[in-house]
Amino acid sequence: MDRLKLTTALVGATFAGMGALPAAAQDGYFAGKDIEIVVPFAPGGATYVSAKFLEPYFERHLPGNPTVTVVDRPGGGSILGANWFDENANADGTTVLFTTSSTSTPYVLGQSEVAYDLADYRVAYSHAFGSVIFAAPGIGVESAADLPNATSPLIYGGISAAASDLPAVLSFEVLELPVTSVMGFAGRGPALLAFQRGETNLDAQFTPVYMTQVVPMVEEGTAIPVYSGGSIGEDGRLSARDAVAPDLPSVFEAYEMIHGEEPSGIEWDAFQAIATSTYAFGLTGYLHPDAPDEALQAFAEGVAAINADPEFIEGSQEITGGTPLMAGVDIEDNVRAALQPSDEVRTYLRTLLSDKFGVNF
Amino acid sequence: MFEHAAIALQALLEPMRLLALFAGMFVGLVFGMLPGLGGVAAVSILLPFIYLFDSYAGLAMLLGAVSVVYTSDTITSVLLGAPGSPASAPTAIEGHALAKQGHASRALGVGFLASMVGGLVGALVLFLAIPIAGPIVLLLGTPELLMFALVGLFFASSMVGKNLKKGLAAACLGIGLGVIGPATAAADMRFTFGQVWLLDGISLTIMALGLFGIAEVISMLSAGGGIAGDRMVLGRRSDGVRDFMANKWLILRSSVIGVFGGFVPAVGASASTWVAYGHAIRSTKDKSRFGKGEIRGVAAAEGANNATVIADLVPTLLFSVPGGPAAAIFLGALFSFGYYPGPRMISENPDLMYLIVWSVALASVAGAAICFFIAPHVAKLTRIPFAIIAAPLVLIMVLGAQKSTGTMGDLYLLFGLGLLGWMMKHADWPRAPALVGFVLAKPMEQYFWLSNQLHGWSWLTRPGVLIIASVIAIPLALAGWRLIRAHGAKVAVGSAVGVTPVEEDLAESGHVRLISAALALVVTAAFGYAMWEMQRFNATSQLLPGLAIYPGFVLSALLLIQSVRVLPGARLDGFTEHYFLPVLILYPAAIWAFGYGAPTIALIAWMLLLCAHMRWLSAVLYGGMVFGLMLGMYRMMRADMPTGRLLDLF
Repeated sequence: MDRLKLTTALVGATFAGMGALPAAAQDGYFAGKDIEIVVPFAPGGATYVSAKFLEPYFERHLPGNPTVTVVDRPGGGSILGANWFDENANADGTTVLFTTSSTSTPYVLGQSEVAYDLADYRVAYSHAFGSVIFAAPGIGVESAADLPNATSPLIYGGISAAASDLPAVLSFEVLELPVTSVMGFAGRGPALLAFQRGETNLDAQFTPVYMTQVVPMVEEGTAIPVYSGGSIGEDGRLSARDAVAPDLPSVFEAYEMIHGEEPSGIEWDAFQAIATSTYAFGLTGYLHPDAPDEALQAFAEGVAAINADPEFIEGSQEITGGTPLMAGVDIEDNVRAALQPSDEVRTYLRTLLSDKFGVNF
Repeated sequence: MFEHAAIALQALLEPMRLLALFAGMFVGLVFGMLPGLGGVAAVSILLPFIYLFDSYAGLAMLLGAVSVVYTSDTITSVLLGAPGSPASAPTAIEGHALAKQGHASRALGVGFLASMVGGLVGALVLFLAIPIAGPIVLLLGTPELLMFALVGLFFASSMVGKNLKKGLAAACLGIGLGVIGPATAAADMRFTFGQVWLLDGISLTIMALGLFGIAEVISMLSAGGGIAGDRMVLGRRSDGVRDFMANKWLILRSSVIGVFGGFVPAVGASASTWVAYGHAIRSTKDKSRFGKGEIRGVAAAEGANNATVIADLVPTLLFSVPGGPAAAIFLGALFSFGYYPGPRMISENPDLMYLIVWSVALASVAGAAICFFIAPHVAKLTRIPFAIIAAPLVLIMVLGAQKSTGTMGDLYLLFGLGLLGWMMKHADWPRAPALVGFVLAKPMEQYFWLSNQLHGWSWLTRPGVLIIASVIAIPLALAGWRLIRAHGAKVAVGSAVGVTPVEEDLAESGHVRLISAALALVVTAAFGYAMWEMQRFNATSQLLPGLAIYPGFVLSALLLIQSVRVLPGARLDGFTEHYFLPVLILYPAAIWAFGYGAPTIALIAWMLLLCAHMRWLSAVLYGGMVFGLMLGMYRMMRADMPTGRLLDLF
């Protein structure tokens, strides 16, 4: 097995060295081009792993079979890498910024260090990044409906209210749950450890960690999943269930379970805006604002071919929970809309964060 | 468990996998020796290549690199005095002092052997940990982690040195620099001045390189000759082995300290190295040689740092929580091979778990052996005029610093902190407490905040907290008891707490008095500004900075008054190092204006022609080689070469 792989790699390298690419590869938008995928996080993080996972599929399926390289530019909670992209991206669509809500949330909130105009960027591709909220046993919570009547005070551990924990915090606001959110953990991993030690009793984890770390805990009975972030339903709202946890209610349904009616109002609007860019378009590849439609079309062709690749379908189970990739041409308007919520929502978010979490803008 | 271990060993001994392990080790050894480039850089550079192999070989390659970085960094620290990696700063202090006295061989021998023991203890713990460490890591709640950080700080108090005021001011300064960046709850940005490159705070690499590396380079450039004067006497290898045997228990205890450093997330190899160094000071009767070349300092530090990087893998493999930055990249590699560390990993992939243990054990032993072999050859470098080595050394430090944010900010920080480190060196401010304060500031604040938020004040009565607190309380109580018995003899407390009584030395030479005054002025001004700026933070974000900034201001103001008083009549008397300081400002300024190329060539030319007095032809040949090498390294590391703002030459 190892030798086979090595041989394939060597043969591949030899071919690339001689420039003896198959004739068919010479056509197509990306023929002879090099694509650089910029990940504004450290290697080893979920985004980097996902980008590396997709790298060979893009090389195989993008029209013109470009060389694809993933480059990490970590720092400043992704702002450094995104700012770099803003200054240095190629306009022909060969530089991709592949990132998460860590980049979009500071943009939506209008933080001063942000130098990128994310809503102006073209969207190449995206895939969902589901999240599941789970509770500790022994606090009288068996499902989302029990949350308001938990027998112990609910304590959630997070990293920072103004970044990736924002959707979870907003879901507590929507559901009107009396949760104490303790921010300041070094990452979601340490937060999960604190949950396992019993220091917190409410936690949220994204798809890959949920599938590999939390599902065994659920089987053991040391964690009880209560609701998921949800996905975009046919009504265009974030009302449908998450593919990662089809048995769990979404925040939308959890609200109905607790309050007996559909959620609405500014809390829901704010949650929907932030959760759409965090969950539904959780991992998104952006292009230079001037990237031509042909580039987007080429990505759309690539995405369609990748989604049909049996190897991808099998391999993506653990990375994306088996949800297909989305092409930018189909979702660009939705992505941009989520990045530009109304001034009312923006004001609500900024007020909430500065009153409840002491964030200075 | 043993049959899996045997299967794993057999799997690792396949030629292709051994080759991968040794290739990784080679990269790790080289990067360990390059100041500023350590485990993270080695692992990142190997990352694309692991996919050429199967998963076992690929992972062995990364482990080979991780396991030896803290072995070979000893060479740089001892011979050049610039820490090969931040976690070997104590070795740079003690080992380099020994080298200057002609005992390089002892320092190196003890360093390599201690590194090997540290690696093996780490591997053993990993082996034992596989079935049992889960519950232990879960037993350590946030309050216990806070206590570990406090124990570290207590141990570090041994490093304050002979002048209490300067030592404490240095520690405050370190904490002050450590709180730059987002506050724990990330609600406040502290002292970032709106600069994106300060958003994550100052990187440990830049801090260590600035305080120790740059300052050392300036001193050596001005001294001109080789590092140990004319010729470095290495000494006999057998001395190193004898010292190792004499200190074996200290090394073993330091390795255990290192292992705990690995268990505690956010407390990395640097912190546990300092804690072990503090332990060495504390457990040594005659403390007078610390700071001037004490072999026990080297033994403790090198035993601890290797144990930590390997113990870092325990939380990584059991909980997917990386114990350190290199472990984080290793975790990503595991993911990409389809292994998802966690509770199920032990039952699902026992062979892989034991393969990891064998890889680190084998690499630790082989790495130490290779270092023994190459050290005498590397030591020959120290006989040539230092200015010749300085050229590539400074440029590699710049590259290492640039890996932090890839902006000009890295260069400002490197040279700014270099100036600070140089001033501290000459003003007799100990740099060790500054680095310890810097390293522990974030975890202390984070764990204190989380403990109070999660448990209220009730965490103070947790059994784990009380047990760990006794590590601090018992020595203090003993010291108090001795004090009563000795009827207030000052010396008893001093030596028990590790602080020797203050002795004002009024007869300091001229440059020390001048630099002391300048440093006290700069630091007082900085603390004064910090006091003003911190008023706008949330109350919770003011606590830790306040604990450092208020006392720091008072201490540095006192030092300022003191130093101004002794200032009259201070003359430089042949002291010439300050002539080199303008370069610290000119070089980054020129890069800002004209880009990387031209200023770098000018710097190389200056060092080779004016400092080293090389002949034109050889300077052009050698300088061209150095410059070409740097261009190659920038490409290989995928680092951004700074471009000029005024006129981008190249």
